[in-house]
Amino acid sequence: MSDQDKQEKDGNRALVAEYVLGLLDVQTHEAVGKRIAGDTALQREHDFWANHFSGLDDQFEPVAPPAHILPKIESRLFGTEKRASWWDSLALWRSVAAGALAVAVAAVGFSVMQPSPDSSALATQLVAALQAEGSDVQFLALYDGTGAVRLTALSGETMPNNDYELWAIQGGGSPISMGVVPINARSTVELSDTVRAGWGEGSVLAVTLEPKGGAPAGVPTGPVVAQGAVTKI
Amino acid sequence: MSTQADVGAIADLIARCALRDRAAFRQLYERTSAKLFGVALRILKDRAETEEAIQEIYVKIWQKADRYVAGQYSPISWLVAVARNHALDKVRVKRPVSEDIDTALDIADMGPSPERQVEQSEDSARIAHCLGTLEPDRAEAVRGAYLDGFSYEELAQRHAVPLNTMRTWLRRSLAKLKDCLTS
Repeated sequence: MSDQDKQEKDGNRALVAEYVLGLLDVQTHEAVGKRIAGDTALQREHDFWANHFSGLDDQFEPVAPPAHILPKIESRLFGTEKRASWWDSLALWRSVAAGALAVAVAAVGFSVMQPSPDSSALATQLVAALQAEGSDVQFLALYDGTGAVRLTALSGETMPNNDYELWAIQGGGSPISMGVVPINARSTVELSDTVRAGWGEGSVLAVTLEPKGGAPAGVPTGPVVAQGAVTKI
Repeated sequence: MSTQADVGAIADLIARCALRDRAAFRQLYERTSAKLFGVALRILKDRAETEEAIQEIYVKIWQKADRYVAGQYSPISWLVAVARNHALDKVRVKRPVSEDIDTALDIADMGPSPERQVEQSEDSARIAHCLGTLEPDRAEAVRGAYLDGFSYEELAQRHAVPLNTMRTWLRRSLAKLKDCLTS
């Protein structure tokens, strides 16, 4: 291989790393960024460098920003109204004794702030706060009328040897598995035809602690760690 | 700021920002703004500019909070990346457009394919080890690019070598670094 070839090859191999380091000029940076966004192999290459270089992050020394910055950011984000008013705080709602109702009300605020583009979907919006006494696992479930439930864990720990499984209980029937759900990430669960058949206000969502991969026979085997009824909002 | 409990708490705050929890946003700011201000200041090297940038950075964090997936990256790394990339965008527009690089990226040319996940705990030791296998001034140049946001021109000046020499140095060093990191 000639020296010229070798140099070109090094250049090519290094391009994504140069992108992550921030060494490329505006035009090249933009062009490479677009290529990365549209190519999973390049994304892997990007994540590889980003992850490894983040090992140097410890070397950024903290410097306290001046106190006037936070109010400026808050007014930029939330307008000129009073900052972080009491009803904005999910943390507060979590501490209210009648948690289920309260979280449902907080979710109304949430859905009003992000209005659905389709106003007819509002009529079918459902929410459920899932919790249980003696358990710190809490989920918030939101059904926006599109055939899927969006799920967010508000609290709970991952278990090394167990998974959390979501169940629908409707009309006094046996629980129908909706699959294993993560506790450290938001997730979207499509309603199966069986669940959809009985789905609506009054359906109960429950989360049980199951062996890895979920209850083997499709019937809950572990304790219910959170549950709640689906309510219209 | 790097204990396991802290990491979990920060991931939780980011998740709550995605749910538009303003109180969580404030807590996140209180816990992380010194770090991110430090990142932006080190790269921008100008206090007034950093005070403007840090506002834009937290606006971005609020807007992009739902894109953070817990478990895939450490929450601190994610936040630092938002701050660092924003600061770099600011310095980049001031730089001359240098040369016409062929951006026809050929993944086959990039050497061994990296694994999907990098063990977080390994990160700092691994990169430190591999930087240690480079000649000291070249490792210093890589650190200068990542931590100080230095351009090729600035690095060439600091190390008193011609611009093209610095480019060749760095690209070769990055290729070597990759071999070490994937071995």
